[in-house]
Amino acid sequence: MNKNQVAFFVDVKRCIGCFSCAMACKNQYHQPPGVVWRYVYSLKEEIYAHHERAFLSLACNHCEHPTCLEVCPVEAYTKREKDGIVVHHQDKCIGCGNCIRSCPYGAPRYNPELKKAEKCSFCWERQDAGLKPACILGCPTKALQIVRLADFKRPGSLQYIAGFPRMTALNPSVRFNPPRQPMEVRRAL
Amino acid sequence: MNGMELPLVFFTVLGQAAVGMTLIAAMRRHATDSGGPVFAGRNEWLTALIILGVGMAASLFHLGHPTGSPRTLVHLSTSWLSREVLMLGLFGVLLVIGFLTVPQTSGSSVLITLTALVGLAGLIASGLTYAPPSFPALNNGVPVLLFLLTALIMGPAVCSYFTSEDTQALLTGILGTALILGLVMNLILPSVWMSGGRVMQMTGAAHYGSALYWIRLGGEFGVGLAVIAATRRIPVWLPVVLLAGEILGRILFFSKVVHTATNIGGLY
Amino acid sequence: MKPWTDAWIEKALSSPFTRRRFLKGLIAAGVAAAAPCGLPIGSANAEEIVYDEPYQVFRNACPRNCYDTCSIKTYVKDGVVHFIEGAPESSFTDGGLCVKGFSYQRETYSPDRIKYPMFQEGRGSGNWKRVTWEEALDRIARKILEIKEKDGSLLGLGLTKYSGNFGITNYGVEGMMTSLGYTTRFVGTPCWPAGIDAQNYDMGDMWCNDPEDLVKSRYIILWGANPAWCSIHSMKYIYAAQEQGAKVLAIDPVFTQAAAKADEYWQVKTGEDGALALGMARHLLDREMVDRDFLNRHALGFEQFADYLRQEVTLDWAANRCGIPAEHIARAAEEFASAKPATVWIGYGLQRHVNGGATVRAIDALAAMTGNVGKEGGGARYGHLFTWGFNYHALVQKQPEGSVGFLGESGPKGEFDFKQEKATYSDRTVNINKTARSILELDNPPLRMLWVSCKNPFSQDFDLNMMKKAFDKLETIVVVDKFFNQTAQNADIVLPVTTNLEEWTVNVSYWHYWIGINEQAVKPLFEAKSNIEIAAALSKKMNELSPGSCTFATEIDTKEWMEKEFNQGIYDLFGIQSWEDLREGPRKAKLPSSAAWHDLNFKTPSGKYEFYSRLAADHGHDALPKYKPNRTPYGPFRLLTPHSKFNIHSQFQHLDYMEDFNPKPFVYIHPDTAAGKGIGNGDRVKVFNKVGEVVLTAQLTDNVPPDTVLLYEAWFRNNPYNVQNVVDDESADMGLYKTGAPGVAIHDQFADIARA
Ligand SMILES: Nc1nc2c(c(=O)[nH]1)N[C@H]1C(S)=C(S)[C@@H](COP(=O)(O)OP(=O)(O)OC[C@H]3O[C@@H](n4cnc5c(=O)[nH]c(N)nc54)[C@H](O)[C@@H]3O)O[C@H]1N2
Ligand SMILES: Nc1nc2c(c(=O)[nH]1)N[C@H]1C(S)=C(S)[C@@H](COP(=O)(O)OP(=O)(O)OC[C@H]3O[C@@H](n4cnc5c(=O)[nH]c(N)nc54)[C@H](O)[C@@H]3O)O[C@H]1N2
Ligand code: SF4
Ligand code: SF4
Ligand code: SF4
Ligand code: SF4
Ligand code: SF4
Ligand SMILES: [Mo]
Repeated sequence: MNKNQVAFFVDVKRCIGCFSCAMACKNQYHQPPGVVWRYVYSLKEEIYAHHERAFLSLACNHCEHPTCLEVCPVEAYTKREKDGIVVHHQDKCIGCGNCIRSCPYGAPRYNPELKKAEKCSFCWERQDAGLKPACILGCPTKALQIVRLADFKRPGSLQYIAGFPRMTALNPSVRFNPPRQPMEVRRAL
Repeated sequence: MNGMELPLVFFTVLGQAAVGMTLIAAMRRHATDSGGPVFAGRNEWLTALIILGVGMAASLFHLGHPTGSPRTLVHLSTSWLSREVLMLGLFGVLLVIGFLTVPQTSGSSVLITLTALVGLAGLIASGLTYAPPSFPALNNGVPVLLFLLTALIMGPAVCSYFTSEDTQALLTGILGTALILGLVMNLILPSVWMSGGRVMQMTGAAHYGSALYWIRLGGEFGVGLAVIAATRRIPVWLPVVLLAGEILGRILFFSKVVHTATNIGGLY
Repeated sequence: MKPWTDAWIEKALSSPFTRRRFLKGLIAAGVAAAAPCGLPIGSANAEEIVYDEPYQVFRNACPRNCYDTCSIKTYVKDGVVHFIEGAPESSFTDGGLCVKGFSYQRETYSPDRIKYPMFQEGRGSGNWKRVTWEEALDRIARKILEIKEKDGSLLGLGLTKYSGNFGITNYGVEGMMTSLGYTTRFVGTPCWPAGIDAQNYDMGDMWCNDPEDLVKSRYIILWGANPAWCSIHSMKYIYAAQEQGAKVLAIDPVFTQAAAKADEYWQVKTGEDGALALGMARHLLDREMVDRDFLNRHALGFEQFADYLRQEVTLDWAANRCGIPAEHIARAAEEFASAKPATVWIGYGLQRHVNGGATVRAIDALAAMTGNVGKEGGGARYGHLFTWGFNYHALVQKQPEGSVGFLGESGPKGEFDFKQEKATYSDRTVNINKTARSILELDNPPLRMLWVSCKNPFSQDFDLNMMKKAFDKLETIVVVDKFFNQTAQNADIVLPVTTNLEEWTVNVSYWHYWIGINEQAVKPLFEAKSNIEIAAALSKKMNELSPGSCTFATEIDTKEWMEKEFNQGIYDLFGIQSWEDLREGPRKAKLPSSAAWHDLNFKTPSGKYEFYSRLAADHGHDALPKYKPNRTPYGPFRLLTPHSKFNIHSQFQHLDYMEDFNPKPFVYIHPDTAAGKGIGNGDRVKVFNKVGEVVLTAQLTDNVPPDTVLLYEAWFRNNPYNVQNVVDDESADMGLYKTGAPGVAIHDQFADIARA
């Protein structure tokens, strides 16, 4: 594993499901309506007892072994040495949809206007310019962070939190801090 | 759920039909070596070529940028899609050669065997192309098996148009066996899925819940087997019915198999 | 802009929207130099996005009616906004915005904007005809003059305006009305008035601690407030407090997102919080867990309050009323009283009730008797107008010579009326919360013409069916807005207004203590004008047709007008030499303490905290913070229509970008309740009451109590959904004193449900 691999840390305990991260991405890249690189998935009641009250903010996980990169017939994907970011090169893409179909996290999306796939770039251009990724800067609760896996040691954090597909072969570069529930006093009716 | 992906439906089904034809041809070739009937002529090669051609043409409609299709060969190192394209391309070339050379070599067993093997390799490659981790129900040997069945059903079916009475029995036998295997496979698959993880269960449920699934079971396998059992031969209309059935089956394959991402936030 | 270029933009922005055509359009329109490199074509080719070559950075602010009033940095290249971000200079905004704020780039370039002045042949017909500003203003001006002719006054001309944009210069809309003469004004606020009066009775003003000092709290009650949606930037302080061991208790009939982040959640019975607070007070009194020192030296009438508690309040009574078991009330009361400091965040949703003001007074009392008022990290937090001391240069205008108006004086024209004029004549003021009713009732003269600005009556005011009738009675309706919302759809004339990225103004918050300027980051698109530019243009036209008929400046520079709002007081408060300093970033007020009332000099008549308020009594309320019953139900289920995370009222939800995340509205029903009605998840459901009905999809959730159904207010384009079909205009108990009209009992609504 690349010792410089960067990853998303999603603190589900802090996350309020506000979608600011998801919209911050659109504010930065202007994907056409219907195309989203980051989405805020709510945990179903079978995992968090209350409807739409705990969330997983997910985009591309910049996996150690990226299926997208593996399956792309035209080598439109590359994985950067310097930080393990998986970059999709729009100029190479022929829009065959193979990555879209194959990524278990549904990260690549089809852009009907460009007739090509596209996905979260981890804002590598921003990072190369010394800026934080837009979604991370935009998160009002600091629930979304960028970490270097090599020196990420946070007790209690998980790679495969309930509600997130377990894909050990890919080894997604994302970590989670689980949510918690308050003590509840409800009216007896 | 996922779209029907019609271009891919036709590409895969027709491609597999062509591969199936060459498999049958190869078998018959060897049969003839052991004093069987003479191998059929170039129009059979041509038919396989046309069927494959139509399939490949259809596949272009699936690309956002068809002009880029030649570049799909660049990632042979890891992309099964690249390998699939390469193999089926070679397969096509061999069919052309066969078509052009048949009169002379009246079907060299080397050429037909090679063609069949390359086709088979292409079929396996595409089976692996459609077995990504995102579809737990297919992330295994299932697609290869399904595609092989398609070849073994459509192969004899189409070939039946080109063979003299005396080989009909052989084709009918192969087809019958393939249909039985197909029926069994398609009957148990959903129940196997139902016993898997959440996304597999969703896939199984989607199949049971789909009219297409039942229509195909009855319309293709039911009818096919019944007719063969009754007549011991392949009536001219049967291949059409079988093709329709295979297309339905492939539509199910592309539209009713559930993607892991559809359940994010739920238990897996 | 030349017409052919408009055609280009039309084409560029017309859906289906493509970044390519969008780009072309902008270039063709001369908005952008023809350098595709890094224009907002986004991900088309990541490599095209360039950060090293400098962007022009502008300072903007979010002018919405939101606690957070974020400071924004806008990145512009070639005259086009590429992206925005929260200003890092403000510790409150801290780089983050909300899902709404991050859609500003899209809002400004939205294909759905009102682009030109337009006339509609037949209200609601959608038969819009583009006209020039000249034609539009001419028709408006002539109508105004006609009214003056007919009635001898301009009282037939009405203005309804509220919180679409709180930029200070936008009070020029009220200024424009004044500069025409004495008119009819819809005054008050649907938002927070009952609580404002309550805090004025108790403390002499509405004043809250710096939210950034929540960090210092040891115990935080979120009482009828949902900051996880409505003040998301405050959450980080609540978390920080929790990390330092503070306990957070959320009290709400709904299991809100904020409740999910609390340590403890109480599902109180709606409208019974007064009983709950008084029950806690009684228990603390019995335990003698009160701050005698504060009460003796800084409070008035605590003994009367104590007597009232002893005589009429018990724990069990409170428990029965509010549904929270007595032992919990007692326990939490003790925890609250022993945590030093402890604070209550009093939400605005809490007080939208017929007893809302009384409830806020009871909660204030709880904070005061435990000695938490005036303490850093303590306090009964509601809101403040401490940083709003601008010149209101745009607001303050003179009526034309000889204007005739309403006899006698009027009260304040809303909570932001910092310049109440005293005169023999005055405007005719009517309750904004009874807009529909008033329009129907107003007579001699009747209301003939309505000017709608920063306000969306069809989505945000009450009893939609009555509103439709009321609009039918009006002769002319002018709507100044950014989008064809439900009110605009029923107007005769729409005028295109600028977005916050296209205008100059200055913004402060009613919650935090920062100030930020709002620069014109890009030239207005199409033919949009800012509110004050529209006022100036109208003035010009009025004076053309009838010299002297309007005193508003006819030529204005919006940047200068922004500057004119500043004064020494503002400079001193924020420690700046000139507004130019704000170009380096937002500034925070220099506060002697983060606590409101830190010196314990209250602005009440007695100068003390008044448990006993004679003023309240004079205004017809109880002098003491006594229990006041809630509205008697008029339907089987409590109906709540609170705020959503995807919109501010009728703004944002209609943007195509927002639909990516929230495509349609739902009604939220408890599973047991639904079962009883044979309603399944995803079923179409009819929510109906005496006011009207809405039909929408059901989502079953125990976030709402079984006796409650919930709808979130919102305007969806391409969807007739409107909560005001089932909300009436019943008044809240307080609000008249400080905002000119009583509040409105938005959450005292009831309805039945059935499968549609
Ligand atoms: N049922 C129900 N009703 C409610 C509420 C509720 O909870 N439930 N909440 C109430 C509360 S708290 C409030 S504050 C009110 C809010 O009521 P409003 O103040 O009416 O709310 P908005 O929809 O934010 O703004 C109204 C309009 O102003 C427009 N606008 C924005 N900027 C500008 C500008 O610069 N110039 C002009 N001319 N127009 C502009 C927007 O496009 C929008 O159409 O709603 C109240 N109504
Ligand atoms: N995302 C977003 N943010 C906003 C707004 C928005 O529309 N969207 N609006 C802005 C405006 S104008 C305002 S006024 C504020 C409003 O900010 P808040 O007051 O925090 O929000 P509301 O949704 O109005 O009401 C808060 C809560 O009051 C609860 N409530 C209703 N009745 C009672 C009661 O009797 N007792 C108790 N304990 N709780 C009760 C509701 O269930 C709701 O959860 O938010 C501002 N910020
Ligand atoms: S912005 Fe932060 S808090 Fe909001 S949804 Fe994204 S991760 Fe969660
Ligand atoms: S998440 Fe999907 S798209 Fe992203 S790197 Fe992994 S496989 Fe590729
Ligand atoms: S869609 Fe583009 S990126 Fe994805 S696999 Fe096909 S060519 Fe590669
Ligand atoms: S890292 Fe950048 S590209 Fe990826 S989701 Fe966040 S904002 Fe979008
Ligand atoms: S709506 Fe509120 S939170 Fe969102 S950007 Fe505006 S001020 Fe900030
Ligand atoms: Mo409000």
